[in-house]
Amino acid sequence: MSLPVRFARSAVLAALLAASAPALAQTDLSNAQIVQGLQGVAQNAPTVTAAVLRQMAQQSIAKNRGIPQARPDFVAALDKLAQITVQIQFQLNSAIIRPESYETLGSIADALHNPILLGYKFLVVGNTDATGTREYNLKLSQERADAIAQALVTTFRVPAGQVEAVGLGQEALQDPTHPDAAVNRRVQIYNIGGYVRPQ
Amino acid sequence: MIRKGMGLLALLVLAGSATGASAQTMSYAQAGALIAKSCGADIEKHCAQVNVGSGQLYACLSAKPGQVSAQCAADYGKVEASIAKRAAAQIDAFTICKNDAREYCKGVVPGDANLLDCLVTASKVVSRACTQVLTDAGWR
Repeated sequence: MSLPVRFARSAVLAALLAASAPALAQTDLSNAQIVQGLQGVAQNAPTVTAAVLRQMAQQSIAKNRGIPQARPDFVAALDKLAQITVQIQFQLNSAIIRPESYETLGSIADALHNPILLGYKFLVVGNTDATGTREYNLKLSQERADAIAQALVTTFRVPAGQVEAVGLGQEALQDPTHPDAAVNRRVQIYNIGGYVRPQ
Repeated sequence: MIRKGMGLLALLVLAGSATGASAQTMSYAQAGALIAKSCGADIEKHCAQVNVGSGQLYACLSAKPGQVSAQCAADYGKVEASIAKRAAAQIDAFTICKNDAREYCKGVVPGDANLLDCLVTASKVVSRACTQVLTDAGWR
């Protein structure tokens, strides 16, 4: 079995490598799709970090009490990055990942362990729909994003420095015209640039 | 009596590691799927408030030996062993394949993926140890 054959099957990986339009909302991405989606750093890609996004989400809540009518400016930077969207099932109002999503977590890990993606850093972004308060959603989505990152770097052995996590609550709705729609409840993974492994 | 018990345990451990040596490591997706399939019911029943990361789930299930199904215990053990082996292989690969890389992949532009691609392409000539570690790492 050659490496290229393996890559052909790795759809998750593919998705993580190519700068693509947001909202590949399939639930079951193959390894190749994930790799493809996450591959490559977009030209002139903006610098994005979990800390900056967290601050912007907090500002978004502080500034504007209504549900955002459009995707806010600060997530426009994210739209330019190589990315994939996955659905992870959590227990209700909890950051506990349900067993049915362990395989999806493993698929993401397989992609991040793929040689093509070894040199990149990734951002796990958790999003909720607009049910509940914005502050609560921000907190829950951060806890959920953290749980995913924690599973990736411990259970699935992704190097700790390769993954950051941030929750954006309902501040970056996928479908602002239907704020309670299921499509808004999603996890996005972005390739945020180079990562140098400690020797 | 105790001695006999220990002997049996040692034998089981040996048998386990022997199987592990020949078997291919599983992908992380396969690992996740196997835990969910074999332990899903036990997790929902005994460890519903525990997350999978940081060894918490494994610790929780291990703390309930009489209640967790034998299938779950066996398969979770397999998953842990396979993941440990794969992770170790990914770390060891570059050292074990160093000489092969120097010999067969001279002009390769620096970068893990390029080097690994070269080593896999040249698998007919690279050492068995290198080929084996790349297999265990899930890279070929």
